[in-house]
Amino acid sequence: MTAITKIQGLATAAGFALALAVGGANSASAEDVVLHMAVPDWPPTRIMKDMFDKEYKPTSGNKVTLDVDFIPWPDFYTRVNASLTSGEKKYNMAVSDSQWLGAFIEGGYFRKINDLIDADKELKKAMDGMHPIVLNAYSTYPNSTPNYYGFPQFPDLLVSYARKDIFCNDDEQKNFKAKYNKKLPCTGEEFDNVDWDLFGNIGEFFMRKKGEMLAGKPADDDFYGVAFQVGKGYDFSTTSVHTFVWQAGGDIWDETKAPNGHAMGQVNSDVAVKALNHMLSFIKYMPPVAKTGTMDIFKSDELFRAGKVALNVDWIGLGEASLDPKSSKVADKLVFGMGPGTKGADGKINHTSQIGGQPFVLTTWNTDVINKEAVGFVKWWLSKDVQMEYASKGGQSAIKEVYTDPKYNTFRPWNRAWASQLDWQKDMWHIPQFFEILTQQQDQYDLAITGKQDAKATLDNVAKFQEDLLKNAGLIK
Amino acid sequence: MNPITTAPPPTLFTPTPDNWKLAIMIGLIVAVLAMILLPPAVSFWSVGAMAAMVAASFVVNAYRRYYYGGLLVAPAIAVLVVMNIFPLLWSLGLSFFAYQSNQQTIRFVGLANYIKVLADELKAPENWANLTNTAMFVVLTVTTQMIMGFLLALMFAKQFPLRKYLLILVLTPMMLSVVAAGVFFSYYYDPTFGLLSYFIRIFSGQQFILMDNKAGAVAGIVFADAWMWSPFVMLLVLAGLVSVPKYLYEAAAIDRVSGWRQFWSITFPYIRGLLMLALLFRTIEAFKMADLVILLTKGGNGTMTISYHLIRIANEQNKTSEGAAISYVMLFIVIVLTNLYLYIANRRTVEPAHE
Repeated sequence: MTAITKIQGLATAAGFALALAVGGANSASAEDVVLHMAVPDWPPTRIMKDMFDKEYKPTSGNKVTLDVDFIPWPDFYTRVNASLTSGEKKYNMAVSDSQWLGAFIEGGYFRKINDLIDADKELKKAMDGMHPIVLNAYSTYPNSTPNYYGFPQFPDLLVSYARKDIFCNDDEQKNFKAKYNKKLPCTGEEFDNVDWDLFGNIGEFFMRKKGEMLAGKPADDDFYGVAFQVGKGYDFSTTSVHTFVWQAGGDIWDETKAPNGHAMGQVNSDVAVKALNHMLSFIKYMPPVAKTGTMDIFKSDELFRAGKVALNVDWIGLGEASLDPKSSKVADKLVFGMGPGTKGADGKINHTSQIGGQPFVLTTWNTDVINKEAVGFVKWWLSKDVQMEYASKGGQSAIKEVYTDPKYNTFRPWNRAWASQLDWQKDMWHIPQFFEILTQQQDQYDLAITGKQDAKATLDNVAKFQEDLLKNAGLIK
Repeated sequence: MNPITTAPPPTLFTPTPDNWKLAIMIGLIVAVLAMILLPPAVSFWSVGAMAAMVAASFVVNAYRRYYYGGLLVAPAIAVLVVMNIFPLLWSLGLSFFAYQSNQQTIRFVGLANYIKVLADELKAPENWANLTNTAMFVVLTVTTQMIMGFLLALMFAKQFPLRKYLLILVLTPMMLSVVAAGVFFSYYYDPTFGLLSYFIRIFSGQQFILMDNKAGAVAGIVFADAWMWSPFVMLLVLAGLVSVPKYLYEAAAIDRVSGWRQFWSITFPYIRGLLMLALLFRTIEAFKMADLVILLTKGGNGTMTISYHLIRIANEQNKTSEGAAISYVMLFIVIVLTNLYLYIANRRTVEPAHE
């Protein structure tokens, strides 16, 4: 090899190396980052994706794309579960029901985010500004310990959906007063103060056959007093049963009291049996489909939108459709209030209810770059302006400075009940055995709802199953 | 394929690509070593690679020795092994371990899963109840479909106006997705929105709740299933009816044989094979029924089937091993039933030859 060819070779190599270095530096300063996310397909996630695409500018200078899989609700758990457990490592982020936390954290799929929060002042501020009940419900595992996993995507709770045209009708008001010697609620504030006794009166009062008078007109179809979820699918009776049990002063098996808190005696206590019987007593005022065990959140919402029910208790998440004249016959006739409660000895109403809504989480296989961009996205998402805009488009926020803003209550008619109802929320278990417990108690509650088994036997079976399962899992002694 | 021109098979230790005996030996040794020495994620693919090597040597061997028949079915066999037989054996293996798909641990437990499924104080009664329900659905849905399908076929075997269009209409349900049919029927049976309730109310004045008791819920599911699958039975039976030679009926007419006798002596022997086939297909399908149950009742009102139960155990609760054990119990039952059926079917076809 001559000297010249050597030099030529060196020069070429140097040039090549330079080109590589420059190219590398370029790509490091502006990378393309794609965040793959699994979310249920409904307005709260569609709005988020839309806002991200239009408004999000990452501070890192990278080009960040949010690649969202919109999965229909009924398939959502199955699909996410299949993706996570199969090990395909497809998603960097996922919306998760709070109850799934334990199962997927123990499986090693959801990433603990304490280090990310501690390393980032803004994120810490956002997390600190969150309603503590929501933070515990959506983020902690074990439940209510300072081990964080999730950020709220769409916080949700149960509210009363009522028909103004019927409740505020003068004849109905007068007749109700004459029959029960109580004022029939008409305004949002009056609905905030509905207890179960009044709820039962309303249920009985508005049971009308086709052709009977309803708010000054003959009813065009059978009309029913009340509705809430009492269905066999997913958690569609558990939500109601827990709400009744908590309000009556009973409790479900409390994982924060493990290993000494037992299911036996707690789940089937006399108070709980009474509460379950109380819940069952309202089924006779519901549309008859409740007796088949398929009255879930979608069915009661559909019946309400079709104008068959006077008062429905359902998630805010389903509310948008009821305000839309295209999907709702009652769009212009609605009034919203806090969900019904139980009046205590002091005359105050206990509104405790099962929390809904979903956090979103990071997965354990994300690279540092992905995590950094994900945190950037989360910070943007939880910032006040973005949360305000989200709320204005139909989302909800659990961040205090957002929902206490006077403008917040003007966005949607149910927002007036939001802040006060948020304080009354409670969550069920986060343990990995969640799904087994849920399925078994849903089956048992269904037997009670369809009249095949009494409340006592039902709760005895539930308690026995849970005690056995929790003992075998080593969660209780 | 002249066997004379084939090369002689290589001796055991000649390393040629077509030496499948040697390939099996090497494959076995490497696979066993890999399973002992390497971590599971690596040994899994090493064993896979060895299996592929053995398969490749079979193919080369077949090619060199002109076993073209074998070569032609090889792709089908490869797909069958990879997509079907391997997962089947893998899940059989899993049923002897304590394994959950959302946990990283695995432990050998022998027959414990089978004991749990068949004899556990809490679980076994539930499994048996679900199996009984499944048997009930098998009997009811298959009987309904066979009768309906058969009657429809008898009707469509004759010529009448608009037959062609009606036939297409009758076949439509079979082509629908089960989910669409399920959603349709859940509205059809709905007491407030449903057509059924609407028609009954004209006479009774009351909304009609079909699905609030076991008999009603079962009837609802059986009807929906029959609505979807009777056309399938009809299609098979119709094929049989069309194949009966006309001259047999003409001869029977000359002999003044009654319609009943014509049916049993001429029609039935022709369609029996196809009828049996329809019965077999529908029985196996009915045994796996879960979709309609999920859509219509979520397993409430005593309609829980073993398949739906299995979906819950294996998919929702991630109890993979327990799910595998239930699946194998189910598979065993289906195989026994199928063989019993084939035995009876064969005996019947053989018997007339002895007479």
